[in-house]
Amino acid sequence: MAEEQETKSIDQGTIELIEKAAKDGVNTAFDRAEAMKPCPIGSVGSCCKHCGMGPCRVPLPKGKEETPEEKQKRRGVCGATAETIAARNFIRMIAGGAAAHSDHGRGVAELFLEVARGGAPGYGIKDEQKLLQVALDLGVEIGERTNNEIATDIGQIVLGEYGKQEGELITLRKAPLKRQELWRKLGVAPRGIDREIVEIMHRTHIGVDQDYKSLLKQGVRAALADGWGGSLMATELQDILFGTPAPILGQANLGVLEKDEVNIIIHGHEPLLSEMIVAAAQEPEMIELAKSKGAKGINLSGMCCTANEILMRHGVPIAGNFLQQELAIVTGAVEAMVVDVQCIMQSVQTVAECYHTKIITTSPKARIPGATHIEFDEHDALKSAREIVKTAIENFPNRKGNVHIPDNKTDQIAGFSHETINYLLGGMFRASYRPLNDNIINGRIRGVAGVVGCNNARTKHNEAHITMVKELIKNDVLVITTGCNAIACAEAGLLVPEAAKKFAGKGLAEVCETVGIPPVLHMGSCVDNSRILIAATAMVKDGGLGDDISDLPVAGAAPEWMSEKAISIGQYFVASGVYTVFGVTWPTTGSKEVTDYLFKDMEEMLGGMWAFEPDPIRAAHLMIAHIDKKRKALGIDKARERVLYDMDMRRELDAV
Amino acid sequence: MEYKIEKKKAPGRDEVEVLGATFEKGKPEGEDAGKWRQKLDSREERLKYLQSGERYFYSQEWFGSEKRKNPA
Repeated sequence: MAEEQETKSIDQGTIELIEKAAKDGVNTAFDRAEAMKPCPIGSVGSCCKHCGMGPCRVPLPKGKEETPEEKQKRRGVCGATAETIAARNFIRMIAGGAAAHSDHGRGVAELFLEVARGGAPGYGIKDEQKLLQVALDLGVEIGERTNNEIATDIGQIVLGEYGKQEGELITLRKAPLKRQELWRKLGVAPRGIDREIVEIMHRTHIGVDQDYKSLLKQGVRAALADGWGGSLMATELQDILFGTPAPILGQANLGVLEKDEVNIIIHGHEPLLSEMIVAAAQEPEMIELAKSKGAKGINLSGMCCTANEILMRHGVPIAGNFLQQELAIVTGAVEAMVVDVQCIMQSVQTVAECYHTKIITTSPKARIPGATHIEFDEHDALKSAREIVKTAIENFPNRKGNVHIPDNKTDQIAGFSHETINYLLGGMFRASYRPLNDNIINGRIRGVAGVVGCNNARTKHNEAHITMVKELIKNDVLVITTGCNAIACAEAGLLVPEAAKKFAGKGLAEVCETVGIPPVLHMGSCVDNSRILIAATAMVKDGGLGDDISDLPVAGAAPEWMSEKAISIGQYFVASGVYTVFGVTWPTTGSKEVTDYLFKDMEEMLGGMWAFEPDPIRAAHLMIAHIDKKRKALGIDKARERVLYDMDMRRELDAV
Repeated sequence: MEYKIEKKKAPGRDEVEVLGATFEKGKPEGEDAGKWRQKLDSREERLKYLQSGERYFYSQEWFGSEKRKNPA
């Protein structure tokens, strides 16, 4: 039994709980993935169900080359080719991902405006500096105006960006100048966030856009609206409301749950309510109430990206990533799991019914049958938060004897926002990316890789994440991380400065030791991938590594991706000039033309391209090869002798 | 941040005023450890920091590689 479970995760605590779930008769995602194989036609993008004449299946013939005649016939009832169908499916994934991130951003913007107008007690502007920064970005007058006056203008402008119909998103101006020009030239600069998503839905309706290149171009435009629009704005406004992350110590893994305390797990993506739950759980009345029920206190922890948000700002421990959500309940020690939106398995409720855990849904957009619904009201957020904490406390006496909390937790340092990296590298008086660029130029750091993304039950939990990240840092590639990859890295002990000595190559370890940073920098949740875009832009703007993100020795990866958001993220990285490798599966292999366009032609068009490689070591080597290619193009691939020129040598140089 | 000005003797001149030590004594503790942005007190200081620290985006004079003569 134990050996069988070891194929499912690299994490000992996770394996223990998979075994416990089996003993308790609980069905988890690990079981379901084994029992149900993915549809071989849908998984390669060859199934179209966009109208009532279908679903139409147009798979590639198995085990033989397709003749031109056969290819001609490989169409849906409406005549749509395999290329059109694969491209339609792909960009609908982008639409889903961009919508999720951007609607998150819209929710933040609505709350932000309420805060500015004084309609959301309990919230305030925590980071005036970020407020001023965003005001400068959006062209909002500062002068002697109050923070709330400035914030009101910011909130209105940001909300306007969602429904904008023409022109282009204001925040595109943050990108390198050359990149902005390229987007304009190609006609992919997004006009408004909602518009680009809606246009994907229109174009992919039966009988509209039937040129796969044209469809994929619209996918680029919508993805850019996500990365440089909705996601970026979500991050910026959250920083203003809750503070820009700075280095903070926290812990990770299922061992953060406490046997004698009321355990509340906050799971999902938006920090709006979770910030208030953090405050409510610290109130003396709540702690007293917990003690009156026999608990020693209240223990908050996070799951998925909400975990990253509250870790980055408060040091609240992380209980786990996507594939650990059911297992946290299987411990039998969780009084309440509070969920909002995205990546929440419906089965958490079914698992909870086997124990005493209460699943509390809080968003009007995301309900689960059987769960307790306590709707988050931003006008009285603390009241909602107190009700949730109280519900959890009152559930403590219902805890059954069947409790097992794995003895595994690790330390981690999180909070590496762009602003903090800039400060750490140069100090208050000369904050700068110069030391990073210099160490890339001198070769101590070979390049930078953004490794992000989900867990996927079709592959061993956390294995590809950790194998890839270790291979990259071993080869002197500095890794920046977000989302479930960040949690996997924390669980593997890669987010502490000591990891540099243990796992990183000599050059990277030297730099990490000098600056006092881990070799893997935790930059936040999945909407915070926008922080990576800004960090890459800062590297360009500092100078010495080219004029555009596509010139930088950088690469991106999502080795265990599964969500539509990951596809949108990958596409906006590619559109920003980054070589991006995905693992597990690839959703367009049903069409060679579409796949080639994404994997080859996009590099000519955008300077960045997609790649697919399920083996994490081989994927890391693809990334390193790309980094080396960029180093060569920049002329920094070989160590050069440094020559101090005297005046005669300079005159000689001028004469040439 | 409160800056300390120290008076020191300079070669060929009498006393000159120089900026004194800017580090803070002790070790940061608690939730505020590492929260470097709190060191900036006033709006003026914050705006000044944006123009120097975030000069890539907010200074008129900073162009980095973006405006060099021979693009990479």
